[in-house]
Amino acid sequence: MPQPLAPKEAAQFRTIIRSFEDKQYKRGLKTADLILKKHPKHGDTMAMKALILNSQGKSDEAFPLAKEALTVDMKSHICWHVYGLLYRSVKNFEEAIKAYKFALKLDPSSAQIQRDLAILQVHVRDYQGYIQSRTAMLQARPQLRSSWTALAIAHHLAGNLAEAENVLTTYEGTLKSPPSRYDIEHSEAVMYKNSIIAEQGDYQRALDHLETAAKHNLDRLAVLECRADYLLKLGRKEEAAKVYRLLLDRNSEHTLYYEKLEEALEIPADDAAARKAIYDEYAAKFPRCDIARRAPLDFLSGDEFRQVAESYLTLMLNKGVPSLFANLKHLYSDSFKKDTLREIAEKYITSQDIDSESKDKGEAAALYYLAQHYNYHMSRDLAKAHEYVDRAIEKDPKSVDFHMTKARILKHEGNIKAAAEMMNTARKLDLKDRYINSKCAKYQLRNNENEKALKTVGLFTRAETVGGPLADLLEMQCIWFLTEDGEAYARQGNTGLALKRFHALNNIFDVWQDDQFDFHSFSLRKGQIRAYIDMVRWEDHFRDHPVYTRVALDAVNLYLKMAEKPSANGTNGVGEEDALEKKKAAKKARKEQQRLEREEAERQAKQDPNKGGQAGDAKKKDEDPLGLTLAATTNPLGEAMKFLGPMLQSSPKSIEAQIAGFEVYMRREKYVLALQCLNRALGIDAENPRVHEQVVAFRKLLDNPPSDLPPKVFETLKAEFKPSEETADLSKFNEAFQVKHQDSPLHVLSAIKAKLQLGVDLAKCEKEVAGLVDHANATFSHAVAALETLKSWRSAEVNAFRQAALAKWPNVTRLSE
Amino acid sequence: MDIRLLTTADLPLIQHANLENLPENYFLKYYLYHALSWPQLSFVAVDVSRPRKGPYDYPKIVGYVLAKMEEEPTDGVQHGHITSLSVMRTHRRLGIAEKLMRQSQLAMVETFQAKYVSLHVRVSNVAARHLYEDTLRFRNEKTESKYYADGEDAYSMRLDLDDVAELAKRYADEEDEDEEGKTKKKTTTTTNGGDATAALKSDGVDEGDAVGEVGRDPEADGKEKKIRVAVGRGLGVGDLVEKVETKQ
Repeated sequence: MPQPLAPKEAAQFRTIIRSFEDKQYKRGLKTADLILKKHPKHGDTMAMKALILNSQGKSDEAFPLAKEALTVDMKSHICWHVYGLLYRSVKNFEEAIKAYKFALKLDPSSAQIQRDLAILQVHVRDYQGYIQSRTAMLQARPQLRSSWTALAIAHHLAGNLAEAENVLTTYEGTLKSPPSRYDIEHSEAVMYKNSIIAEQGDYQRALDHLETAAKHNLDRLAVLECRADYLLKLGRKEEAAKVYRLLLDRNSEHTLYYEKLEEALEIPADDAAARKAIYDEYAAKFPRCDIARRAPLDFLSGDEFRQVAESYLTLMLNKGVPSLFANLKHLYSDSFKKDTLREIAEKYITSQDIDSESKDKGEAAALYYLAQHYNYHMSRDLAKAHEYVDRAIEKDPKSVDFHMTKARILKHEGNIKAAAEMMNTARKLDLKDRYINSKCAKYQLRNNENEKALKTVGLFTRAETVGGPLADLLEMQCIWFLTEDGEAYARQGNTGLALKRFHALNNIFDVWQDDQFDFHSFSLRKGQIRAYIDMVRWEDHFRDHPVYTRVALDAVNLYLKMAEKPSANGTNGVGEEDALEKKKAAKKARKEQQRLEREEAERQAKQDPNKGGQAGDAKKKDEDPLGLTLAATTNPLGEAMKFLGPMLQSSPKSIEAQIAGFEVYMRREKYVLALQCLNRALGIDAENPRVHEQVVAFRKLLDNPPSDLPPKVFETLKAEFKPSEETADLSKFNEAFQVKHQDSPLHVLSAIKAKLQLGVDLAKCEKEVAGLVDHANATFSHAVAALETLKSWRSAEVNAFRQAALAKWPNVTRLSE
Repeated sequence: MDIRLLTTADLPLIQHANLENLPENYFLKYYLYHALSWPQLSFVAVDVSRPRKGPYDYPKIVGYVLAKMEEEPTDGVQHGHITSLSVMRTHRRLGIAEKLMRQSQLAMVETFQAKYVSLHVRVSNVAARHLYEDTLRFRNEKTESKYYADGEDAYSMRLDLDDVAELAKRYADEEDEDEEGKTKKKTTTTTNGGDATAALKSDGVDEGDAVGEVGRDPEADGKEKKIRVAVGRGLGVGDLVEKVETKQ
């Protein structure tokens, strides 16, 4: 039981609570101290003080105090509740839930504690617990619609669709009169129930429900889409077709509607004429519709394709639409279409009347199209691309788009330096456009110009953000910049700043995960339940997004590099070189630190003193702006797990993730897990060159197991290693791989790397790698990969190889780095 | 490019498009707030023909409109508001911005009975103003001095949605006819007046409105007999940064 207070102190206690709610932390603390002066062992006051301290960021003071509060008043629900809240704030959800449950036991009637518990349960996906909590909350407040909806959600998320529907139906039964037609909460509840019926696969009932309960529903688009879908699934095709036509009238730029209409009309996929008739109908009905004109290009062939393509291209080129190529490039997997489109664009240029002004615009657009055509990976001829883009620029020397494409062509040549310069030229042609500014900064980062790039993006970041452009980009979760910035630092060997960025990115993803928290209660009040369910399901897998995988791979690869033991290479003088490099890096870091401090001082000096007390002052000072602490870790492989774990869990089908996992687990001597990654990688692509290297490495391990490997584990590994027969003779296996893939420089490179593992003389391997420069199919990116390999071996061949490669590909920036 | 309703899974790439195109940016929670408050109002333009890149592919967002309803309209009239609209430079002049706007406006009327829609546009943004003024027929209400963080003025524009309401009614009638199984054909005219191509520049409209206290629970305000310690509120509340900053 809470310890009772005299009326005066009780009033003060209420003041603390109010102060806390209003974020008047100082006042709250002062009042708490007043009570504690009189009653030094008043548990509730101590707990409230702890809570306020925690909100001020002093959690190291808050936790001991909250614990002390509990020891003096074990029976206070307030003390337990606060204890739970503290745990929740440090994301220890398990302990928080335990504490809430204690609090609730002491005060079962507290709606507040019950609600906090329920939210946390759904947050950690403890659906059974959530059902319990929501049932209790419904019993306490059955008059609220949201109490019922919440219980239905709990059952729905737990997978019990019938029960979810049942709860909603029970509530509807209690309604004495039908809610107003414009009651958005009711309208949405109806559609939510409809989605649950459909999810059970009972489309007839879903349709009936839709046609009665949702007849005048406020979400017209959803009603139409559901109706069309159910009708089609029920085989009532004629009716489905009508509804798809209604949908197309509302929005003719939706591919799925056309496809479903074709299905409903039972038009066979190979009946191009009938299909085209539908698109023609909508092209006539909606003169400005793009899809109706363009989509037939996907399924037409031969002369029909040429005809339609010609009229589409002519129309778009006459208008000078710059996005034409972006709209058509998906057709390039068909070589006939690829060639035909090129021919049409060429013909368009030659048929132009040079005198006319409007034709000038069209001709520039056609030249631009062809420049993009020859720049595209499926039809690449960079010399021609240059020629066309230069002609286009001649026509319109101020075009941002043309210069941007020229920069892209340069990038594809490997000339990153010139590409960055060209992108900057494009940027200067339209200083008010952030898109070209972003592209320019990205290219500068590819060219390892971190400072310059930050200045570039700084032209558009909010000037008043404390901490400058980088702080704004961090706050606004600008993933692309932070990723490119980190990768550029990693390339330059600035491990600290690279790790700094990768960890900052990881934090952003953590924030995304936390973001859902408030919506567990918010959405119940707003009543938009389908959107809420959509969010919960997305949150369950959002780290499978390629933007996360890229960051995770960057970080893991960097940690792997840090974990490499230099002595393992067996070359002489490595130790010295290493020490020298470390010294250099440390010196550089010191300079960088000084520069940052200087800039910060300057910035503060420039600030308007009248505008003091900005929000940023409250922000914690970054103790490690250069990531030196991160780079100094003695446990890089353990740190790598922070990225590897979530990546493997969310993206098991990514071969890069499995490859990275194998490398980390092997070095951590977690062989069972390493093998799991290897087997998965083999399942995805057994011919992947990196996977081949790993198969060799693992077989070597089995042939020569470490003495401390328990026999049982060894037996398991042997049994689970799939390519055990073919790898019985590893040298032969590797030979065969190289012969099989002799046309692919990357596969050959992997085979050579495997040879080194198998004890072939380093000098011999180096020569073979160096020989790749003359491989018939070698491109500059293969040469870069070979160079990286030689560098990692600290080979004496590095310089000779670099020169040979540069002689063949003179402008490739990465070869001269 | 396809025009379709936004889903939660689109948000990271919508945020990316916004950051790449416009100077007014938001963290993901602000997008979530829109998607979970007025899921009917926001649309995206996606490239559906692009071949899948790997096993975890998300559709590329080439344009989006992020819209909302004004929660407490000062004039007491239900109306929508465009928070942000942009189209990637690589996909301009396909009319995408206009098509996104028309879908959003229709939903504003159908779902929330909006009478008008408002937005802010940079005075210097000629291309965006062309779209709003000439193609979509917005009119300039007033100039808001130094509306943007960099000190630029904004035009506060609005469009009465009477015509859209008319259109919505016609769609509703057609639906009814369809359900009643009538076959009588109606001539449908296109909704697109003129043939102005929306040459929208990347800086469309944008602004930094307050997000409200997403986690606030009105239930917690109820006075009860026993002393209730509303300790959960302080932590659960997502007072989103923009609001805090504009207050100061």
